[in-house]
Parts: sequence; C-alpha cells; structure tokens
Amino acid sequence: MPLRLQLTGITKRFPGVLANDNVSFSVKPGEIHALLGENGAGKSTLVKMIYGIMQPDAGEIVWDGQPVVVSSPKAARKLGIGMVFQHFSLFEALTVLENIALGMDAKIPARDLEARIRQVMAQYGLLLDPHRTVATLSVGERQRIEIVRALLLEPKLLIMDEPTSVLTPQEVEQLFDVLRRLAAQGCSILYISHKLHEIKALCDTATILRGGRLVDTCDPKQETSRSMAEKMIGAGLKDIVRPEGRSMGEPKLVVSRLSTAKTGHFDVPVNKVSFTVRAGEIFGIAGVAGNGQNALLDALSGEIRSDDAESITIDGFPLGLLDTTERRKRGLCAVPEERNGHAAVGEFSLSDNSVLTARDRLGMVVMGLINSGAARTYTGKVIAEFAVKALGPASMAGSLSGGNLQKYIMGREILQKPSVLVVSQPTWGVDAGAAAAIHQALVDLAAVGSAIVVISQDLDELRALCDTLAVINLGQLSPAKPNAEMSIEEIGLLMGGVHGATEAHDAVPA
Amino acid sequence: MQFRLEKRPEPSKLMLYVTPVASVLLTMLVGAIIFSLIGYDGVGAVREIFLTPLTNSFKWQDLGVKAAPLIIIGVGLSIAYRANVWNIGAEGQYVMGGLAATGVALATYGMTGWWILPLMMIAGIAGGAAYAAVPALLKTRLGVNEILTSLMLTYASVQLIYYLVRAPWKDPMGMGFPQTRRFAADALLPNIIPGTIVHLGVPIAIVVALIAWFVMSRSVFGYQMKVVGAAPHAARYGGFSENKTIWLALLVSGALAGLAGMLEVAGPFQRMVPGFPTNYGFTAIIVAFLGRLNPLGVILAGIVMAITFVGGEVAQTTIGLSSSATGVFQSMMLFFLLAGDILVRYRLKRVIPAQEARA
Repeated sequence: MPLRLQLTGITKRFPGVLANDNVSFSVKPGEIHALLGENGAGKSTLVKMIYGIMQPDAGEIVWDGQPVVVSSPKAARKLGIGMVFQHFSLFEALTVLENIALGMDAKIPARDLEARIRQVMAQYGLLLDPHRTVATLSVGERQRIEIVRALLLEPKLLIMDEPTSVLTPQEVEQLFDVLRRLAAQGCSILYISHKLHEIKALCDTATILRGGRLVDTCDPKQETSRSMAEKMIGAGLKDIVRPEGRSMGEPKLVVSRLSTAKTGHFDVPVNKVSFTVRAGEIFGIAGVAGNGQNALLDALSGEIRSDDAESITIDGFPLGLLDTTERRKRGLCAVPEERNGHAAVGEFSLSDNSVLTARDRLGMVVMGLINSGAARTYTGKVIAEFAVKALGPASMAGSLSGGNLQKYIMGREILQKPSVLVVSQPTWGVDAGAAAAIHQALVDLAAVGSAIVVISQDLDELRALCDTLAVINLGQLSPAKPNAEMSIEEIGLLMGGVHGATEAHDAVPA
Repeated sequence: MQFRLEKRPEPSKLMLYVTPVASVLLTMLVGAIIFSLIGYDGVGAVREIFLTPLTNSFKWQDLGVKAAPLIIIGVGLSIAYRANVWNIGAEGQYVMGGLAATGVALATYGMTGWWILPLMMIAGIAGGAAYAAVPALLKTRLGVNEILTSLMLTYASVQLIYYLVRAPWKDPMGMGFPQTRRFAADALLPNIIPGTIVHLGVPIAIVVALIAWFVMSRSVFGYQMKVVGAAPHAARYGGFSENKTIWLALLVSGALAGLAGMLEVAGPFQRMVPGFPTNYGFTAIIVAFLGRLNPLGVILAGIVMAITFVGGEVAQTTIGLSSSATGVFQSMMLFFLLAGDILVRYRLKRVIPAQEARA
C-alpha cells in the first residue's frame, strides 16, 4: 500500500526565522501519527502547509503516491485532508446543523445533511443534537461539531491541532475512542500535541520537531515520557527541588465569598469563591479554559475591585476595596495569563516594564518623577537572576521570546518578595527549560514563607507543583483538597462540572 | 498583480525619524508636479511656499508668530494622542480660551496693573480646559466617542464668538462692526524684539514644549499617558485608571489650546473678532503627528507648518496661487506621513497567485 502522505525536504522561511528546515516524514494509511514539539518548534507551520493555508518555500508533498501542490484549504479538502483547529470557528447563535451547513464547500439540502450528520455521529459514537444552539454547548461538544464537519468529507487524513487543551480528562478519553475508530477504518490521523502521556496512549508513531528541524521519528510506546521530552527540548529535564522539612504556616491569604459582576457577553464571572492559602503553601486552581479564571485573577490582583473589604484579606488585613497599586503595597503581586499587552507592554523596554508594577514597592518614583536608574538596576537584577535571554534592560519586551518574557515577568514580581503571589498560566507557551526554571522559582518563593496561588489549565503542572488543589467550574470553586489526596478522575469530574457526588461526599463527615 | 502588507519584525528606528522629513520632501515634489499639471508655475509655487519664508529674513518674525500657537496646541495634542485620547476639538478649546481671556480683558478695562495678563492667562487655560472637560465627562460617564463631541463643540464655540461680539461684548465705539474693543495696554502681550511683531507668546511656546518634553519622558504622568495608549490592559494591571487618564489627557490638551487662544487674542489680534478661529486647532493635529507626538519634534513640526502658512501668503501675492493651496500642501504632508508610517511598520509584498492543485 502506498504511503498516505509523504513530505520531503519541506522548508518554510518567515522574516527573521526559519520555521521549517528540510523536514521529511511520512504517514501510513490508518496510522495515528504524532507531531510533537514545543511552542515555536514549527508544528503549526508544517500542518498549515499540508492543509494549504501556506505554501512551502521548498520541498515536496506527495499524496497517495502523487506529488501535489495544495494551493488552498479547499484544495486540501478535495484531496481528502480534514483539519480540526485548536480554535473553533463556530457561530454561537446558530445551531449545530446550521454551523455545519455553513462550513460545507458544496450546498447540500438541510434534510440530507442532517441525515448524513446523524449517520456519521452514529458511526463514530459522537453524541450531539444537531438542533442545539452552539452557545449552549460545552467546549468538548463544540469540538465534536468541528470533528463531524471534518468527517462529513470522508477524509483520508485528519489533522488535529492540540485538540485536548480545552477538554476534561473524561472528554479526552471519548475523543481518543473516536480517533481510534477512525484509524481502524483506514483514516490517517496527524495528531499535534506537546502532551507526552497522550501521545504514548494514542499514537503509533511520533515525529519530534525542535526549532523547525526534525529531531527524531520514534515509536512512542517504546519511549518514556521523559526521553521524548528530552528530545523535544534537546536537553536533560530538571526536576523541581523541594526544600526538606517544609511546613505550612498561618493562613496568609483568605478569600471569602468573592464575586464579580458579569461584564461582557461571553465572560464568566466568579461566584462566591472562598479559599485559604497558608504561608509557604502553593495553592493550585485547575479548570477548563473560560470558567472564570480571568475574572478570578483580576478580582485578586485588584483590576476588578470588590465591594466587600473583607472578601480578600492578607494576614487579616482587608484588601477587597483597594486598587492594584495599594494591593501591591500590601504585598499582593499578580501575573495575568496574557503576557503581551497585559503583564507587559511589548513596545516598552524591559526597564520601563519594571516601572509598571515595581515602582512603588521598590521606590522607583520620587516626587512624581521616575528614577530610571533604579528601574534599570532592578531590571538588570531580574535578567541576571532569572537567566532572561535579553540584550539588557533597554531591550524591547516585544523582542523577547514568549518563554524569556515570561521569565522576566515572573522575576519582576518574585524579586519584589511579595507575601502573596497570584499567577495565571505561568508556563503557557513556554519551553520546558524555562518552565522548569519558573516552577523552581515558585517553589523557592513558597519556601521563604509566601503564599502562592497558581491558576492553570495544565493539570500536569498543578500536580507537580501544588500542595493543595481546587477546581474552578462556571465561576465556582470546589472545596480544596491536598494534592496527594485527589485522584485524576475526581479532578476531571469537577472540571466537567459534576459537583454533586463529591460535594455530598464531603459534606457528610464535615 | 496583487500586493499585501506584511508586518516587519521590528520597525527601523532610523526610519521613524526619516519619514517626517521624507514626507515634507515628497510633498514639495508632488506639489510641484500637480500644480504644474493644472497650469500654475509648480516649481515656483513650491519655492515660494517652502523656501521664501526661510530665505527672506523679513519673514522670520511671521514664522515665529505663526508657529507659537501651533506648537503650544500641538504639544497638548501630542500628550493626549499618546494616551490614545483623540481630542479633535482643540480649535474649540482655543476659541474658548480666547473668549475667557477676552472676558477678563473687558472686565478689567480701564484698570492698570501687571496682574491683568497673568489673570487672562489663567482664564484662557481654565476656559480651554473647561471646554475639554465636556468630552471627558461624556466619554467617561456615558462612553461617548470624544472625537465626535470635541469636534462638534468646536462649531458651538464659533457661534458663541458670533453672539458675543455682536451683542454683549460689541465695541461701543466700533461703528457697528462685530468685534470687541481693543484691549487696554496692560491686557496686551508685550513685544520682546522691538521693531518686530514677535510677542511674548513665542518664547512661551518653546518653554511649554521643553517642560512637556521633560514631563513626558521623566514623570509618572508621562509614563501613564504612554502606557494607557500603548496597552490599556497593562495600564490597568499596573494600577493606572483609564478614566483618570482620559480626564488628564483632555484637560491638559484643552488647557494648552486655551493658553494658545489667550496668547493669540492678547497678541496678534488685540481684540476678539469673528475671524479669531483660524484653524490653528486643526492644523496642530498635523503638527502633533509630524512631530512624532514628541514635544521636541512638535517644535520643528510647528515651524514647518508655519512655513507653509507664511509661504502660502507669499505665493498668493507673487504667483496668484489660491489660499486653499496651503491647505492642499498641508494635507499632502499629513497623507505622506501617515502612508510612510505604514511602510515603516509593514512591507509591501507581491502576492503570487496560487496554482490550482494538480491532483
């Protein structure tokens, strides 16, 4: 049988960066093939060329034994290539059926289309009501629409771009069942991810990219997660070093019945969130994206102020009514999820970015004037202690890579020695080396007695880092439990919003 | 053939400074071609408009007097625009500053004292700031776009002049002309160079620009304006209130426009007349951008713009060019500047039509 897809010497250059450098690999019919690599390794660029969104500068794409030029996504679909994107393109106000009809290249009468949709769903065990409005569906269900949309074209190759980053563990299992069934019927699957345990569980072959080059093609079942990770980052992984004999102190940050108002149409406010973080504790908040994490961070940092002073206290001092500047003076620092434009200003130098949050705690302002020397010195210290790859304090924040900018931002807050640090997605899109450094810095900060809150969608990160875990779902926070006592199934159920069983369970002994 | 704009990885620092100069040169070149094509002496027009004011030393005093209000208003606008607050109504704030100063001059008519001019200055600043407070209030309370409100208030302010000079403030000895009486000596700006028309407003403009430059580059206020403009979300995270910034930006730019109005009415005009609004407030928008929203750049840009005003008058008499020609040249300059800015940040790339799939 000929290979389904064969890439030879694919090269793509963008201004200033070689996104793909002479990449060659092949996918067999019915194979689930992982494309593995860190952010910026060139995975997305590569699949965009396969799907016809971009054209390679050099190299050849061979489809079912025939050399082809995939000029557009439409041409790709004609060849039998389907793709499910990380970000969905769905109209919230329309039904499932209407959304699918809009995405079809050919016009099909609604009744025939519905029949075909039902047939595809039955065939692969995808549960979905075609007449539901998209706005009422969960993220996992929305992803199913995209999958059905792709399957209607009877693809011979299905590309999945980071499909599990928005799913609960249970939804991931359901997705894998569908993908395995598809593969069994001869459809090849190109599965893009950086989650190693998923690739070990699902994929037959893994192609690993690093810095735009192909590093290795291997059988993930023969590899360990660690060995693949090391190939992915090109260096040995460091483990988090925890200081011996750590004990938690007194309650430091106490949040009680903290709520925010609903502002936009699609954002999720937080509703009566309560938790306590002790000195030296790392408190993790898990949850699927879009369940109130942003509102929670803003409410804690002070970007959204509470109308109840007692809703947030540090060492008993009420902070609820204070703004970000006053909260920082009281020792509460925060790092939002979005680096560019929120945690830092891309058009400003690093030195000017230090002024953004450190000016009051570190005395960078004298009589309304900025002491730029102090800002420069502090920025130099952050760069040195957090190994930020930058030319110096005068470098533009926007010129740094995501990982380096994140290291700078974390360093900027941590070196202010906050008594409470709240971070959201501290290692989102950060390479493994930088992620390890950031994790270590958080552990070290906790070791000197700070209370730390980590809001993250990455369960692996939370499991490795946190002492205590809680789950946020639709703006409500589950009761906190020690990390070690929480099973992955329990977290998954909480992420999916199944509070009933566990809450009842918790309520009885208490 | 199709073209597409592709973002440059990092805009060249040098080009940021070259574009304003290039846009002036391009304006001269294209202006010469256009005016030749429509039957004028194009090269002559450009020479009269751009070079005569510089080569003829008699015109230098005119340059200073024209540049002063443009620089003062332009500095204020450059501060507001840094914060992405689009005050388009500086003309109205300039008028209100002029009217407030006129009110003081008329109320103190017959009195003498050194304090009259400073009082007029304070009134002018307050008048401009108060008029800019209206868009600020509407923007922060009701979310009304400040571009619309500040612009529309300009037309209201002009009507207010018409009313005041025709009725309550009309010169009793003016034989029915719609204008106020000439201000008393202590309400007029002193000349600083004897034998010329250069008044106190010229050095004030330079001082205002220098102070603004220092404040914008060194103070927390300047930082706040810049960070709110560059990344509003980050500004909120850094503890800067967006509403406070809108207020500050509008009040400062309105106050400076009001100061310019006071200096004009107490300087060149010496009285309030219906012809007081001379579009300085609108031209200063071009000055602010041509000066790269930097107070020091605004000084240079103000002078360049003054050259086109003075030169335009020269060209009217020497080669019979219509007075609207000045406006055409000024607009071209803004157009080339904005177009140049796009090319500094993006590059033009030819799109090669994709071939159809062969399979």
